[in-house]
Amino acid sequence: MWLIASLNFFIVQVLPGDPTRVLLPRGSSNVTQGGSDLRAQLIRQWGLDQPITTRYVVYFANLAQGNLGTTITYQKGGFPVAGVIAPRLSTTLVLVGLATAATMWLGIVLGRISGWRRGRRVDVAITMGTLVGYSMPSFWVSLMLIFALAYIVPIFPAYGIQSRDASTFNPITQVLDQLYHYFLPVLTFVITNVAWFSLTLRNSLTDTLPEDYMLTAMAKGLTQKQQLRKHAMPNARLPVLTASALYFGWVVSGAIVIEEVFNIPGLGQLTWDATRVRDFPLLSGVFLVATLGVVVANAVADVLYLYLDPRVREA
Amino acid sequence: MPSRTSCTCTSIHASGRRETLATIVSEASRRATALRERATFDLMRFRKFLLLLLHDKLAAAGLVIIAAFIFISIAAPLLVGPYPTQFDRTKAMQPPSNAHPFGTDWQGFDVLKLVVYGGRVSILIGFISSIVAMLLGTTVGLVAGYYGRVTDQLLSRATDFFLVIPWLPFVLILVAILGSSLATIIFAIAIVSWPTTARIIRAQVLTVKERQFIERARAVGSGNGFILRKHILPNVMPLVWAEAVLTISSAVFTEAFLSFFGLGWRGPGAVESWGQIANEAYVNSALLRGLWLYFAPPGIFITLVVLGFAMLGYGLEEVLNPALKRRV
Repeated sequence: MWLIASLNFFIVQVLPGDPTRVLLPRGSSNVTQGGSDLRAQLIRQWGLDQPITTRYVVYFANLAQGNLGTTITYQKGGFPVAGVIAPRLSTTLVLVGLATAATMWLGIVLGRISGWRRGRRVDVAITMGTLVGYSMPSFWVSLMLIFALAYIVPIFPAYGIQSRDASTFNPITQVLDQLYHYFLPVLTFVITNVAWFSLTLRNSLTDTLPEDYMLTAMAKGLTQKQQLRKHAMPNARLPVLTASALYFGWVVSGAIVIEEVFNIPGLGQLTWDATRVRDFPLLSGVFLVATLGVVVANAVADVLYLYLDPRVREA
Repeated sequence: MPSRTSCTCTSIHASGRRETLATIVSEASRRATALRERATFDLMRFRKFLLLLLHDKLAAAGLVIIAAFIFISIAAPLLVGPYPTQFDRTKAMQPPSNAHPFGTDWQGFDVLKLVVYGGRVSILIGFISSIVAMLLGTTVGLVAGYYGRVTDQLLSRATDFFLVIPWLPFVLILVAILGSSLATIIFAIAIVSWPTTARIIRAQVLTVKERQFIERARAVGSGNGFILRKHILPNVMPLVWAEAVLTISSAVFTEAFLSFFGLGWRGPGAVESWGQIANEAYVNSALLRGLWLYFAPPGIFITLVVLGFAMLGYGLEEVLNPALKRRV
């Protein structure tokens, strides 16, 4: 975590690039226009005239108090970054949670089929299909889905997370309404990411099936279903969990694009806005939160691994 | 006497020179033969390799897609004429017609032309980023795998770190701060692309360095640098090639996202990449106006190129790494 924060500090503070340029109108750094006074003032305000070690210490002191600095542009500037990020975090977590659950479920179903029937037509179709989905940029998939399923054939809402009159619904309808709005974003996610799970599961099943204990299982007269559930899957699903470490980085990246396109007020949309106006404190705050999220997710996956691996669990 | 001596001397010299010349000539011809033999051998090997590769349907299909797109990119002026430069707002956002099969963009340019030229930027950035990432990844992998101990610990932690950080916010923040130029975009893409290669190369180095010929090389007094360069690198090079192709795939993909976020780099002559075309179509709400032929083609082309390089890369990996063979 210290590493991540340091890298974050390094990117914003040390790399060349002048954050004051963003706030000042173009060309106003010219002395005759009095721009340099303003610039000097800004530099003092942000402590940019301090030596790098001092800034480093100050940065960590602030971080420890949950202070991520103030935004440059958001809500006319001066708004604390942490205050902008916090309310959006839950929206993003819901989206990412739903999407991951759906992707994992479908990935495991598809991976099991194509691993069991590898080399057959079903396997080729699944492998190619997931690979094509994986190669498609999510911004393109999401916009084409909106175009097809919300514009040409208007069966799904094109944007937002709830209907405009959602506050008049009863609680259950409200939840259903939100799920309805989440359908297209989650579908985009599933299409572009399902290959992570289906392909790793297929490959690890392929490694597992020729093992001797599978032959034993068959010789014992177990049905195919029993062989899969009791003998193949427990071993095959471990590599899938390992692969998910890389998957989490993609989740965040996918969420950024999907939230912007579907106008979901989460962290991703914030990233898009911050990028457009070059709001570095905000951008680095989002990056910090996203990276921490990925690290936490990986820690959870590690714990799950311990739980799912019978050899470790019983030891 | 001195003169005679000098005379003999020159004669010796002359004969010596003639002899040297003869040796040089024979040596040269011998080398040429060796070289020719080696070349034919390499060519045979290459042909065998190519046949093996083409036998793999996945790789062959990937190769065909890539070849087609590289051809389209290079031959763009012949296929669709010069790149449009005449900004004309009155012709902007037109629906498809006979003159413009995909319609026109917000500047009044023919979308078909834009898309055909777009591959130049996208694929170029993919290639260069991949080269940079390979240099970085291979070096880290070699050093980490060969030296082991603390070096390995440090480099492996760094690799893992760059492997798990969310790549999109990372490249966005890098390019947003450094400003979008060819160099910064390539730097940003390479920074997020090298870790997989480093990991794979490191694993391969670990197995190679245990082999006997490395021990023998060390026994005859070869230095670490020499062993790395002459013995280990050639043994991991095939893997580097496969990784390079896979990295081009992900680099093209990453560039598309950067461009879609408005941080793209325009090629010489202000040529836009596919990601930039998609970004402009999105910003100008082409889909809401029903102009899907403006938005769809760049995305399809990105998908095809990314898929093509990925298929070739996986195919190469399978041909080069027999351990993966049984998975087919």
